Amino acid sequence: MLKEEYRTHTSYSGKSRFMTFPLFVFILSLGSGLTINKMLETVSLEQFALFAHTSAFMYGVSVGAFGLMGREYLERRYGRSNYLVAMPYLLPLSFKTTFLGIYLRDALFYVVLLLVPATLGLVAAAPFMGFALMSIGLFFAAILISFMFGMSLSFLASVIYIRNVPAFVVFTAAIAVVFVLFGVLGVVDPELVIPSLGFQMNVRPFPVHAIVALEFMAVSALATFVMTALAYALIKIRIDIVSQMYTNLLPKYHEKIQWLSGLNRTLISKEFVDLRRSGTIAKMFFSFVLPMLFLSFTVWFVNYGLAMPVGFNAVFYAAMTGFVGVLMYSWLNNIDLSEYYSLIPVSVPQLVKIRIIVFLFLTLGISAFFVVAISVLNGETELLWLALVVMLVTSLYMVVMTAYLTGLKTNTFLFDTSVLAKFSVLSFLPDLCLTILSFSLLSNWVVAFLGISLVLCSLAVTTVILYRGIDKKWSRTPFY
Amino acid sequence: MRVLDAKDIVKEFGGVKALDRVTISVEKGDFYGFFGPNGAGKSTLIRILTGQLEPTSGYVNVLGVDVIKEPLKVKELIGIVPEVESPPSYLTGYEYLYFVGKVRKLDNLEDKIEKWLSFFDLDAKKGTICKDMSKGMRQKIMLASAFIHEPALLFLDEPFINLDPIYQRILRDYLEEYIAKGGTVFMASHILEIAEKLCDRLSIVHLGKVVAEGRIDEMLRSGENLERLFLRSVGVMPSKEV
Repeated sequence: MLKEEYRTHTSYSGKSRFMTFPLFVFILSLGSGLTINKMLETVSLEQFALFAHTSAFMYGVSVGAFGLMGREYLERRYGRSNYLVAMPYLLPLSFKTTFLGIYLRDALFYVVLLLVPATLGLVAAAPFMGFALMSIGLFFAAILISFMFGMSLSFLASVIYIRNVPAFVVFTAAIAVVFVLFGVLGVVDPELVIPSLGFQMNVRPFPVHAIVALEFMAVSALATFVMTALAYALIKIRIDIVSQMYTNLLPKYHEKIQWLSGLNRTLISKEFVDLRRSGTIAKMFFSFVLPMLFLSFTVWFVNYGLAMPVGFNAVFYAAMTGFVGVLMYSWLNNIDLSEYYSLIPVSVPQLVKIRIIVFLFLTLGISAFFVVAISVLNGETELLWLALVVMLVTSLYMVVMTAYLTGLKTNTFLFDTSVLAKFSVLSFLPDLCLTILSFSLLSNWVVAFLGISLVLCSLAVTTVILYRGIDKKWSRTPFY
Repeated sequence: MRVLDAKDIVKEFGGVKALDRVTISVEKGDFYGFFGPNGAGKSTLIRILTGQLEPTSGYVNVLGVDVIKEPLKVKELIGIVPEVESPPSYLTGYEYLYFVGKVRKLDNLEDKIEKWLSFFDLDAKKGTICKDMSKGMRQKIMLASAFIHEPALLFLDEPFINLDPIYQRILRDYLEEYIAKGGTVFMASHILEIAEKLCDRLSIVHLGKVVAEGRIDEMLRSGENLERLFLRSVGVMPSKEV
C-alpha cells in the first residue's frame, strides 16, 4: 500500500518533484528554526506549541476519514485505476484488514513526508540556535501523537457516520462542545482537548514535570489506541446499490441560470447538480465555515481573551478569509471524474473558469457575512468597506492563482514541489503584506491605506494576468 | 472522399513508444476496423484521432479539420464512445443526454433524448443517476450520447462490451444502417466475430506499429477468417496449427 501511494503521487507530479516535497518541508522548518528568536519577540513558545499541535491534530483529522470510503470511492472515483483498498472484493481478505492497512499506510506516509523532514529541519538548525536534541526528539514524539490522535478520532467518527448518522451527530456534537468549552469559553484547558499538548508542555524546553508528562502521554496513546480499535471493530463498507430515482434537475437549473449563456450556462448548471446530488456542498460548507469560525474565534480571543495589542482587525480578518476559501476550490475538483468531458467540445480551461465562478458563488456571500459580523463584534464598522474590498480582491486572487497553478487537479499538484513553492510564495507574500499593513491601520492610517491599496491593485492586476493565462497553460491538457 | 487522414503518428509516454509512425486513412462510408492485442496502442490512437490526446509527432486531419490545432472543432463533428464507460456519476441518463445536447447546441433536444432513451430501452431508468447504473446501462448511455447529434463519423472503442446479446445485435443493425445512410465508422474491438461481419477495411496494430492494412476481403487467405488473419498478423498461430 505504501508503494501504491508513492506511485500514485509520483505518477502525477514525477518522481523527482515528489521527492523534493520533504526537502521543501525541511527547508521551511530549518528557516523557522533559524528565525525563531525573532518570532518569539511577538509570540510565546507556548503559543507556538499550541499552534503546532493544533495544526498536527487538524491535519490528522483531515486525512483520517477512511470510514467514508464506500462504493463510490472503491469503484468510481479513481476510474480505471484499481486500488488495493478494493482487494476484499476479489481476494480472501476482510475490509477490516485493508482499512487497518490504510490507517497504518497513511500514518507512515504522512509522518515520513511531513513530520520527519520538519523535525530534521529543526535538528539542522540546532547547532546554530542551541536547541537541545532531546527537546526536538520530545517535540517529534508529542507532535506524532497529536497527528495520530486526530487521525484516530476522524477514523472513528467516519465509521460511526456510516453505521448510524444520529450517533455520528451526537458524537461530533460532543466533540464540538469540548472545543467550544476550550476555545470560546476557556473552561477546558487545551491539554485536555489534545492530551499530547499536555505532554509537550511538561517536557523540555518547557519546565519538566516528568510524572505529569508521562500521564499525558499515556492518556494520549491510550485514547489513540482505543479510538482506532473501536473504528476497526465497527468498520463497515457501504456497498448497497441504491435504486433511488431522481427528478431531472438539470433542465430546471439550466432554465433558472439566466445570467450566463451558451456553453457556460450548461456547464455551470451541471456543476450545481453535481454539488447538490453528491452531498459535497455540505462537506464544503463545513470545510469552509469551520476554519472561518476558528479564525473568528482566534481574532476575538487575541483581542479580548488575551488582550494582546497586535491589531487583529476586520481588514486583517478579511484578508484571511480570502486565503481560507481556497480549500473550496479543491473540493470542486474532487466531486467526480471528468473524463467524459474529453468526448465533447469542452476544454480544460473552460471547465477551470466555470469552477472559479462556482467557487465565488458559493463563498463570497459567506465570507461577506463573516467579515460584517467580525466588524460589528469588534466595533470596527468604519473599516467595513475596506474589509469587504480586501475580502473580494484576495478571494478572487487566491482562487484564480490556485486554478492557474493546479488546473483541475488541485490536491495532486500541491504535492508537486515546484507548484507548491510557487503557491507558497504567491499566497504568503501578499498575505504577509496585508497582515502588516492591516496592523498599522489604527496607528498610521494614511500609510497603511495607501499600502493596502497598492497591494490590492497588484493582486487585481495579477489576477487578470493569471486568469488570461489559464487558457494557454491548460488548453493542451487532457481531462484524464 | 477521405474523412480521416493520419500520417506518421508517434506517441511516447515517458520514453516508451506507444505508437510508432502510424499512418491510416479512412474513406467516407468505410466501416474501418482497428485491431490489435491488449496494449497495442488502439485506445491511444483513437484518443489522438479524436483530439483527446496530443501526439508526440505526426499529422491528423478529420473531416477537413486539423485535429492537433483544433481539437474542439473536430469534437463538434464526430461522435466518440470510449473504451471505459464513464458518464458523469451524478447525472441521470436523461440529464447526461440533455447536457451533451446543450453543449452541442442541438435543436429538438427533447425529442432526440426520448428517441435514444427509447432505442436503448432506458425509458424506465431515466431517473437513475449514472453511478447507480449497471455497466451495460452506462455503455448504452455512452452510445446514445455519441449518436444523439447524428455525426458524420463515429469513433467506437469496444462498443459491444458490456452489452447483452440482444443489444449487441440491435447496435450492429443500427451501425449497418448508419453506414448505408452515408456514415463512417472507425472501430476498435476484440469481438472479431461481429467485427468481421461489419468491417470492410481494417488495420492491425502490434507493439505500436501497423502490421497489416487493407480491405478485409483482399487480405483474407482462402479459408481464413478474421481471427486467423489477426493471429497471423501479430505472429501468433493457434496451438492446433503449431
